Amino acid sequence: MIQAIFVGLWGGVAIWFGISVFRTSSMVRSALSLLASMAAIGGMFLALEAEFLGVLQLMMMATEMSIMAIFMVMFMMDPGGLGQMEMTHQKRAAGVAGLAGGAVAVAAVLLADWGPIVAEADGPDMQTRALGIELMERSMLIFETAGVTILVAMIAATAVAITRQRTP
Amino acid sequence: MTGLAFIAALFAGAYAVAVLEAWMATGRWRLTLPILSGAALLGRESLVPRRPDRLLFEAGPPIVLIAAVSAAAVLPLAPGVILIDLATGALFVNAAWAYVMVALVMAGWGPNGAYAMVAGWRFLGQLVAYSMLIVMPITTVAMRAESLSTAAIVESQATGWNVVTQPLGFGLFWLAAMAASFIPPFDHPVAPGELAGGVTGEYTGVRLAVFRLGRLVLVLSLSIAIVVFYLGGWHGPWLPGWVWTAAKTLIVVTTMLAGGRSVPRLRSEHLLAWCWKLGIPLALVNILWVGIILWMVDR
Amino acid sequence: MTVLTLALIVGAVLFGIGLYGALSQTNLVMIMMGVELMLGAAMVNLVAFWRFLHPDVYSGQMYVLVVMTVMALEAAVGFGIGTARFRQRGSVEMEEAAELKG
Repeated sequence: MIQAIFVGLWGGVAIWFGISVFRTSSMVRSALSLLASMAAIGGMFLALEAEFLGVLQLMMMATEMSIMAIFMVMFMMDPGGLGQMEMTHQKRAAGVAGLAGGAVAVAAVLLADWGPIVAEADGPDMQTRALGIELMERSMLIFETAGVTILVAMIAATAVAITRQRTP
Repeated sequence: MTGLAFIAALFAGAYAVAVLEAWMATGRWRLTLPILSGAALLGRESLVPRRPDRLLFEAGPPIVLIAAVSAAAVLPLAPGVILIDLATGALFVNAAWAYVMVALVMAGWGPNGAYAMVAGWRFLGQLVAYSMLIVMPITTVAMRAESLSTAAIVESQATGWNVVTQPLGFGLFWLAAMAASFIPPFDHPVAPGELAGGVTGEYTGVRLAVFRLGRLVLVLSLSIAIVVFYLGGWHGPWLPGWVWTAAKTLIVVTTMLAGGRSVPRLRSEHLLAWCWKLGIPLALVNILWVGIILWMVDR
Repeated sequence: MTVLTLALIVGAVLFGIGLYGALSQTNLVMIMMGVELMLGAAMVNLVAFWRFLHPDVYSGQMYVLVVMTVMALEAAVGFGIGTARFRQRGSVEMEEAAELKG
């Protein structure tokens, strides 16, 4: 029961801030609103008893969304949102697509039979230990691939964004 | 009861950090300084800049305080004296310290002032530099303890403090802790000379008092983390555990605040270059080193 | 209405909001925000499925870690491309990015 309350509460906060990402005209507020939404998703993870994932989500999203905020300030013409510019296109089609996608997903959720619900999950220290063992034994290939992929993406992003200094 | 004792201990610790910082800056011991300056700040006029981003302006300082208290809440001061014993405590302190950065970005953007904004974004650049150096030494400490719980990390040091077997990690964590709490020479967000006070320049009155208190608790939480992760926590002969924690914490705070003011401020790009080109390879070497030691001990 | 369906409905609504954002915004960074919301919704679904249907199989949590990694990587590479384009064009409006030749 308490779990349902907390999942619903954090879910509502996430949806509220998710909507306000696209309604506000201030760019920094938009990025920080996305941060609040992601933090609420982290709170949902904690309410769903996935403690490691919840804390990891909180930590990663703080850094990621702040970097998104500074990139918005760099790239947008009106980061403070005081000019009330119109930044959207095909709003009606996008609205229909969003509503349709969400409605189909909700219908799938409510109409499908998800099978038996397991009542108990492990405690958090057992979970961390089991996740570590899973990472190092069964999913080692995924872990190593992810590591190499991260390195390649870092090098690629740096290479795309760097400018050649022409020394005279 | 433990909760109240914990909050009282945090408050006493923040008081001690303020007195130590004043001693470093002026050379005189003024034991009543925090009370007097706190009362003076609360009595001053609360100026609001012209056209601020009101939500972010108000939200900045309290989030610094809340994040710092959350980080300190999962650190053990004595056997059993811990506010929230999370199973992933060592990761949670990192998450809490990351929100200090979010709060400083808000406090930099909110007042609609040029110097504050530059200071806020410079702290983001500083975070990109120090964040790896804070996380990787915690990894090696957790490797030895085989758990992410902070109490387990302290208990694993009963046979020897981590600073003895992992000196490289200790050095990197100490430097990264100085950068995370923007102590000189890493004090870009609140640079007194260069950026006219930086993030704190536009705040007056109650909000500045909250910000300063938040920063004191942040310095305190980072020092307690250094003690918990590397200096053996509450372990020590004769005296009770909390006395050892307090003594070690105050010594760490003194060393962190000690020489910074006489060293020139490190520019963001130089800090970034040093941390990424030297610091991260050293941190990885540290992880390898600790792994080899643990494997050899296990055999 | 179990907790599982509640969490899945939250995920579905977040996905719809993210889809609206990704389709209706013209700026690269805003589009990326929509995509991040969609990935966040996917993670909520994954954790809900892990917790209520198979809490003993930790591949579910591994999957969430992979999705988190993908979020970070996609943001990084996207910002790299955006920086390069901004240097060349002066804006990252996706309305102007209609031609392949740069």
